[in-house]
Order: sequence, then structure tokens, then C-alpha cells
Amino acid sequence: MTYVSSKPVVDAPTHSTPLGRITISREAIAQIVGRTAAECYGVVGMAARGPVAKLPWRDRATQGVAVTTVDRGVRIDLHVVVEYGLNLAEVGNSIRARVGYEVERLTKLSVAAVEVHIDDVKESK
Amino acid sequence: MSDVDAARGLAGSALAALESARRRIDDLNVYPVPDGDTGTNLTLTARGIVESLDATETTSRAELTHAVTRAALMSARGNSGVILSQIVRGAAESLGEAGAIDAAAVAAALRGAGDAAYRAVRKPVEGTMLTVVRETAEAAERLAADGPPVGELLRQLVDAAEQSVERTPQLLEVLRESGVVDAGGAGLAEILRGVAAFVTGEPLPEAPAYEGEIGLDAVHQELSQFRYCTTFLVEGEHLDQYALERELEPLGDCLLVVGDPSVLKVHVHTDDPGAALSHGVARGTLESIEIANMHRQTAQREERLSDSLGVDKACEAVAVVTGAGIRRLFEELGAGQLVEGGPTMNPSAQELVDAIERAPAPEAILLPNNVNVIMSAEQAARHASKPVRVIPTRSLQEGLAALVAFDGTRSAEANLAEIFGALETVATGAVTVSSRDAEPNGVPVRKGDWLGLVDGEAIAAAQEFEAVARAVLERLLEEPRAVVTVLTGEDAPSLDALRGWLQSEHPEVELDVEEGGQPHYPLLLSAE
Repeated sequence: MTYVSSKPVVDAPTHSTPLGRITISREAIAQIVGRTAAECYGVVGMAARGPVAKLPWRDRATQGVAVTTVDRGVRIDLHVVVEYGLNLAEVGNSIRARVGYEVERLTKLSVAAVEVHIDDVKESK
Repeated sequence: MSDVDAARGLAGSALAALESARRRIDDLNVYPVPDGDTGTNLTLTARGIVESLDATETTSRAELTHAVTRAALMSARGNSGVILSQIVRGAAESLGEAGAIDAAAVAAALRGAGDAAYRAVRKPVEGTMLTVVRETAEAAERLAADGPPVGELLRQLVDAAEQSVERTPQLLEVLRESGVVDAGGAGLAEILRGVAAFVTGEPLPEAPAYEGEIGLDAVHQELSQFRYCTTFLVEGEHLDQYALERELEPLGDCLLVVGDPSVLKVHVHTDDPGAALSHGVARGTLESIEIANMHRQTAQREERLSDSLGVDKACEAVAVVTGAGIRRLFEELGAGQLVEGGPTMNPSAQELVDAIERAPAPEAILLPNNVNVIMSAEQAARHASKPVRVIPTRSLQEGLAALVAFDGTRSAEANLAEIFGALETVATGAVTVSSRDAEPNGVPVRKGDWLGLVDGEAIAAAQEFEAVARAVLERLLEEPRAVVTVLTGEDAPSLDALRGWLQSEHPEVELDVEEGGQPHYPLLLSAE
């Protein structure tokens, strides 16, 4: 409930604690998202989206992850590849719940939305 | 027995075992998200498989395999249900190709289940269902080497699965921290117990009595910052699903509007269920309204968890509060027992004793949060049956500062140094309206004037709110401070001008405004 609007526009998600202000970069959040998503059941890969995500120096852990700041907190978009033969709706729900929970737990930021895009399914053998 | 009858028997017995353990498994659920639904999800997934087997007429084993696999996929519910669907698929495909079902075939089926389960995740997390299915498969391969009867093998595998479940906290930190074993793994052990009971022809062992009591509706809820899970039906003509969705969107989260133009089902987590219902009633007739307080459900579940699993709290914080927002802040900061002080903040010593006795911990700290309550608090501490330390907090803000430093896993005594340290760094202020003409602390004030207090002493009075609020802030900021917290009370004036002033005069100070809802004090302030 901090009055963010009274401050200069900050790009990075910020919140205040009794001991001072904490700024968490979008890159740091993307790392959390990427690592958490890789452990979500059903996720066999992250999808590369757009030219930026495909650049070779992009960190693999954050591939397919976009973090933006919106009015009510952070919005997370992630593009995943899911194992063939799983219930995609349930896998998507679980990813959304797990990623949102983990980001809120680790950053104490409010997560406004987690948009899970299942870009592909693939059959591991 | 035909293949389909065997499959029906196995699935039915597994479902019965899951159903009897459902609630216990729900309460174990802390990973991947502590939403307490693992037992329910596994049960619903298994039920889907049983129902499809009831409906099937096939005599071909290949078709049976396909039907079971498909039913598991379709009915998979939640993360654990999806994993179970892969386990069922791996096992069914292996059994489908097996000849006679002997010990080696059972071991191969479990291996197939484990391999299928691991295949569908990039980075498997150990200490979960995955570990339990893999370790049970490994045990099956060891035990099957001697060619035991299938029933005997399954009996031993139930033990192996249970031992694997017991080890999950060693592998997954969140389980260790919460003092639980993995919920999905525990569900898998129950499924094996059901399977073994069917094969050996023995009745399912009675599930141990479980004291917890929680409605099925309570467990589907996801974690939410909002308090009320609100569901209702809107009946009417030409209902516009998307328009209603847009109206409800700002009210909360986990929004779901589904249906057709004649009936829409709405599900939303919100702090204002009334507003959600108003949007519905503007479009049609309401039916089947259900509003559940999720915070209470979560609290009840946590209470049961700490009771049944011995997650020991060494010390509970008991606090006197007033105002809905203040109450929420104290809850969020971990105060276990709250005593409503009412508008005048004067609970009886007996109410305080009762709250202390209710606290499930062996010791307590007591936060009176008002000068006038400190004495009753000390009285209550003497009459309580457990050790209580009174922290003489003179205001709600001091109480909050004390709670930030409080650690429930340590004794009351061990908490004192930290708490008093925290209290030393915080300065408090308040803005109120004088109820009479007076001259407190040498400050002349007329009835109806705004009155500013710092650390309980009057420091300013005037007819304009701004002047008084600024004077209080100036005083609080005489020493360098990083954060000013403002708790707005009932009838708090707009803070826009004050905010602008603070921003230009003290740009280094972070302003955190919270809705306190306390009576009598439009503003309570603290500076750290």
C-alpha cells in the first residue's frame, strides 16, 4: 500500500520495509521465475520468444520469461514447453500457482498476474 | 478374473484407501504450494479413473490400457494429479504388454511408472512423489529377484513406500521446515496400500482417526491476499460473460466467469463480496451464493497442523488491538491471539488471561498497546497459568514495531532483547481531534481542534489538519529516519498535500500508508 505514485517512476519493483526500501530488479525476479518453472511438473523446456530471447548471451535460466511492473505489482509472462500426454490445463494452473507463490514468498512483492503460455508440447523418450 | 475386473478392483481399492486418508494428506500439503488440496486432488483423479473403468466394456488389454491412460489424463487434478496420471500411464503401458502378472511384471510396471513420471519434468525435485515412486520401483526390483508371490511383494512395497515417504523431509527443505512428510508421496503410499489389499484379499486397514474437520469447499482455494472466496450463479437472458468479467476484475483475484448467455457461474476472491454480488444482480438473478472466509480457513488449518504435527511454537504474541486494518496488520506480523480493545482500548484483565490461555504455546508475550492497558496486562500476566512477559507498548505503532522483532520459535525471555532494541529505534506520533478545551503539556487547545501528539505528549494544536500533521512529522523526523508509517483511522482526511510536502522536504524518507481503521485517531504515525 505504499504510495508508489508519489515517487519518481521506478522501473524496478520496489517495496518498503520497516528498515528501508528494497528494490528488486526484473532480472532477479526472472531468475526466480525461470528456476521455479524448470522444476514445475510437466515443464520440459522454456520456449525462446522473439529475437531478444534468442540472443546467445541471454541467461538460459530466464529464457522464455518476461517480467513487467504493472499497477498492482509485477506481471510475469512465461513461455514453456510441456510434456506430451499431460493435462495441459492442470499443468498450466500448477505452474501459475507455484511461480506466483514462490515469487511472492521470496520477494514479498505482490504478483498481479502470472500468464503461462504453453508454446509447444513434446514427447520425451 | 478378467483384466477389466482386475483393473476395476485395483482402482476401486486404491480410491478407497485415498479417500480415507484424504484429509490427512490435504493437511500435509506444503509443496509446491501450501494450498492443502493434495489429498483431494489425488482422490478426484483416482475417482475419474474408477468411473471410466465402470463405464468400459472392453475385453482387450490394449484398449483397457488406453482407457485408463486417457481417464487419468482427463481427470488429472492439480500438480499431484498430473504426476499420478503419468505414474498410472507408465504402469498401465507396462502391464498392458506383460504376459502373466507376476512379481517381475509388478516391478517392471513400477519402473515404467517411475520412468514416465521423471520424463515429464526438466528438473525433478527430490523429496516428492517422484522420489517415492522411484525408490519403491527400486525396492520392487530388488525384492522381485526371488520371485515372491505378488501379494507378498506388494505388502513389502507398502512398507518400502512408507519408508521412502518418511525420508522425504531429508531431501526437501520446505518439508523439514514445516515438520511434515511429502503429501503426494503419502498419497502414493496409500494407493499402494489399496492395491495390495485388493490383491491379497485383505480388508483395507482402518485409517487412523483424524481429528481435522474442513469442508471440501475449503480446500480448493488458492492462496490469496483477499479474504472472501465468493461464488454465485447469475441467471438471466443474453448475459455477457466478458462484460461481467471486466466489472469484477478490479475487485480481487482468481476470477473465473464461465457459462452461457442464460447462466453464468462466478468465482472471485475479494475483500468486498457485496460489490461482486451487486455486479451480478445488475445483470440477472442470483442463485447459490457462497461466501467463505479464507483467512479463517487458513488459520484453522494451520492450527490443526501445529496441533497434530507438533510444530512447536515456543511463544505466542497476544496483542490488544482496535480497527479492522490494525487487526489485519497484527495478524500478518504473526500475533497469534488478538483481544479487541474496542474504541476505548480497555479490555478486562480476564479477557487478556483468556487470550493467553487460548494461545497454543507454552509461553506468551503480551502487547497492551495503550498506556491505560499496561496495568491490566501486568495483572493478567500474574494470573495466567503460563509464563508471560508484558512488553509495555504504549501505542499500536509500538506494538507493531515490537511484533516485527518477535520470533515465535524462541522463548518469551529470549525475545526481550530484540524487542526492546526495536522499540528504542521507533518514535511514534498521532493526530487526533480534541474533545474539549484544555492545555495539555502547555499547548492550548480548543474543543474540535486538531491535536498532534509525539510519544504521547501534545506538541501542536490548530484548526488546520495540515499544520498539525506537519508539526508531528517534523518532530518525528528531527533525527534521521528512513521510513514513516502512517496508519489511517476512521475519518482520516486526504493525505495528498501532506505527501507532497514530505516528498519535497524529506525526499529520503519512505512513506508507507496503511489503512488502520482505528477510532479516535485519524492518523497514527511511527518513524524508524
